[in-house]
Amino acid sequence: MQPPLVPQTEPSRLKALQQTGLLDTESEQRFDRLTHLAQLCLGTEIVLVSLVDSHRQWFKSKQGLDACETSRDISFCGHTILGEGIFEVSDAKADSRFADNPLVVSAPNIRFYAGVPLVSNAENIGTLCFIDSKPRKFTDKERQIAIEFGKSIEQEIQDRLQEHAHEKLAASEQMYRSVLEGTRIGTWQWNVQTGETVLNKRWAQIMGYTLEELEPISVETWLNLLHPDDLTDSDAQLENHLNGKTDFFDIKCRMKHKDGHYVWVHDRGKVVSYTADGKPLVMYGTHADITEQTLNDLALQQSRDELYKLTQQLPGVVYQYQSWPDGRSAFPYASAGIEDIYGVTPESILTDASDAFAKIYHEDLPALVESIEQSIEHLSVWELEYRVTSKDNSFKWLSGSATPERMPDGSTLWHGYIQDITQTKDYYLKLEELNQDLNVAQQSLDLASEQAQIGYWHASLKLGTLWWSPMVYQIFGLDEQDFVPSDSMFKSVIHPDDIDRVEQSQQQALVTGIHNVIHRIIRPSGEVRWVHGLGLIVAEDKNPDLIMVGSLQDITDRMKLQKVKDDFISTVSHELRTPLTSINGALTLLQSGKIATLPAKAQKLMDIASSNCKQLSRLINDLLDIEKLAAGKMLFDIKPLQVAPLLQRALSDHQPYADLHNISLVLQQDPQINDVCVYVDEHRLLQVLTNFLSNAVKFSPQAGSVTLSATLMDSEIEIAVQDQGSGIPEDFKSKIFEKFSQADASSSKAKGGTGLGLALCKELTEAMHGSIGYDSSTEQGARFYVRLPLTN
Amino acid sequence: MQLDKILHVEDDESIRVIVEMALVDIAGFNLVSCDGGNDAISQITHFTPELILLDAMMPGMDGLQTLHELRKKPQCQHTPVVFMTARIQESEKQEYLDAGAIAVIEKPFNAMTLGDELQALYQAHFRAADIIDSE
Repeated sequence: MQPPLVPQTEPSRLKALQQTGLLDTESEQRFDRLTHLAQLCLGTEIVLVSLVDSHRQWFKSKQGLDACETSRDISFCGHTILGEGIFEVSDAKADSRFADNPLVVSAPNIRFYAGVPLVSNAENIGTLCFIDSKPRKFTDKERQIAIEFGKSIEQEIQDRLQEHAHEKLAASEQMYRSVLEGTRIGTWQWNVQTGETVLNKRWAQIMGYTLEELEPISVETWLNLLHPDDLTDSDAQLENHLNGKTDFFDIKCRMKHKDGHYVWVHDRGKVVSYTADGKPLVMYGTHADITEQTLNDLALQQSRDELYKLTQQLPGVVYQYQSWPDGRSAFPYASAGIEDIYGVTPESILTDASDAFAKIYHEDLPALVESIEQSIEHLSVWELEYRVTSKDNSFKWLSGSATPERMPDGSTLWHGYIQDITQTKDYYLKLEELNQDLNVAQQSLDLASEQAQIGYWHASLKLGTLWWSPMVYQIFGLDEQDFVPSDSMFKSVIHPDDIDRVEQSQQQALVTGIHNVIHRIIRPSGEVRWVHGLGLIVAEDKNPDLIMVGSLQDITDRMKLQKVKDDFISTVSHELRTPLTSINGALTLLQSGKIATLPAKAQKLMDIASSNCKQLSRLINDLLDIEKLAAGKMLFDIKPLQVAPLLQRALSDHQPYADLHNISLVLQQDPQINDVCVYVDEHRLLQVLTNFLSNAVKFSPQAGSVTLSATLMDSEIEIAVQDQGSGIPEDFKSKIFEKFSQADASSSKAKGGTGLGLALCKELTEAMHGSIGYDSSTEQGARFYVRLPLTN
Repeated sequence: MQLDKILHVEDDESIRVIVEMALVDIAGFNLVSCDGGNDAISQITHFTPELILLDAMMPGMDGLQTLHELRKKPQCQHTPVVFMTARIQESEKQEYLDAGAIAVIEKPFNAMTLGDELQALYQAHFRAADIIDSE
């Protein structure tokens, strides 16, 4: 037996066979009808459409045979496909190539075989073959019929192929349509050369139209609807694609909807054919409505921009920190502020937080780690104040707070905020320090208050509020729990005889800013106590609520002592004055010469005695005045008084005394003085001026002059007395207003002073809220002045 | 109306002598001096003063008590009283004025002008009284 050879074009032959798609498919009527007809026409027992595969022959159609395939090496058809025409074997038993072929020696016992090659894609893919179990020979006509049947089979194979291609195409188009419908994408087609444009229904729908409404459709239809601002970009994209610079025309642009608003569309297209001379001919493309997506994207971008701007404005850092169970950690998000906070960039810690942790001050690191672990374990808010080290090795205090969230991968993600609180912390530490100082001061004050029995209070004259320290309650014998301090309550504890005095001081405080009064109070038990109330109105520019602060001291014990002292002084003064009265009277009477006439020497002695007696009397008066002032027992009848008449009176009171010393008195005053009033006790101011004037007269040279002047200053008036004496000795200036001070021991004898006058003047002036002072030079003499506040 | 008859009450003998010289020898008044309240009460039985000059601080019956007792006598019910004191506390002065004194003279006083001073006080007192009456 001779097996068939393999043709030289076997690979392409097999490929052509594969492309027919016939192998191993069901039998088909279109082939079976033809093989049955051929069997009837040519009268052979078997007719087959045999396809010669690489190792077998497989029968697509078979008549008179049950087998569906045989091995290729025993096949007759393997021989047929080697040539171009019909291959005929009249008697296989007599042919050495086939005599021992199993298909010859056993069923189907082939004796006659005639095969017509079947051609597809110019390759012999198989045969239409005719088989008989008896030797035979086809006539020419029979041969012709067999060849025609072969062609018919070939035609069927081609038709079948095309039908399948059509089916595939139809299925593919159906799928394409379904996809377009599903994605609601419009399509377009544009002839670049003619401008002819075809849009689909969906394209029109996206723009709010029907296709009919858009007629006549041209490329202008598209251009007219395009947003003017997007035209340039569209032109550039198109040009780039038509020039072959881009694979696709791809643009996202705005187009005007029928309703007037703009919709965002994504157009993507491609040139699919070219003219013979290589110019773009037809473009196909899609047209998708991306308004919602674009608006979402824009909104997202806007919210990102806003977040960015917002975080830029924040002094600290807004961040996300993530920690995984395996120990990794990172900052998936950190606003730009991280550079100020940690000195690292957001990028450097995006996937690994180590750089940030390296900045933590080493002493604070364990607490930080512990706090993070706690937050992970309990999913509790992380909060901590800790330090980082700056580039210059200084500390920065940070305060962080973040809310944790467990992620599906087991990690923990915090959303939080860290801010630099260095300054706040500094303030806080300083405040703490101040607070401690304040506590110490308060404790000292409380202790002192308790020791000295001084309570303190403050009141708002505007709001009518009043606050007392515990000691005030104690002094008043009241229980702090049971009483709310008020002006009426305060008045109710004052001794009825002293209410006028307290109210007068309060009224005076509104003018002078100073409240100073000693009065009695009656405790609920009926016990009478003496108190000294002192108050000061805080400077008005810093005190919109007219706050007055003050103290209240229980001076009952002091007043008892004072009374003893007063009684003593009273007694002493009485005891001193009684003999003085007699001596003075006797001397005056004797000096007058009306009782008796004395010899000249005796008269001189009388003068000496009389002068010293008067001085002793003045000394006692001054001493008693000073004591009264010190004890606060001198009553001042303070009221607004015109200055000019006061000065006139002081001057005229002293005229006789000045005449005695041959001194002229001069009055100098600003013309405006006539309208000016001061708030003083008339008697006491005169006492001061008398002192100044008598001193000036005493220390002026014979025939000199003493000037009393009054000058207006800002809110004060200065009343001064200028003499022409030798001025105040340098070493005396520092103690001029001290008690019992005189320029030198001899002067008191020479001029008859007590050394108490100026000290008393100072006390009196200050008690009337004025000030006292002097100017002195040896050439111009001494000038003493008082400055007193003007009334409004 | 001229002041003439003065009753002076003073425990200190020296002052009594000075006042006597000042008011009698210098000023020419008709004066009766007493060394205390009791003496004064007995003196007014035969001497009706037009003004009483009363020392404030005396042992036994002091000035205020003496005034109180003198006021009980019909002849002294409206007699102007001037107190004389070496104590200069304002409160005391006020106390005497409240008790009905027309003035308080401080010690030491001026012996040469004491008479004039009393005459002036007396005149002023009655002028004021006249004004009040006429109203």
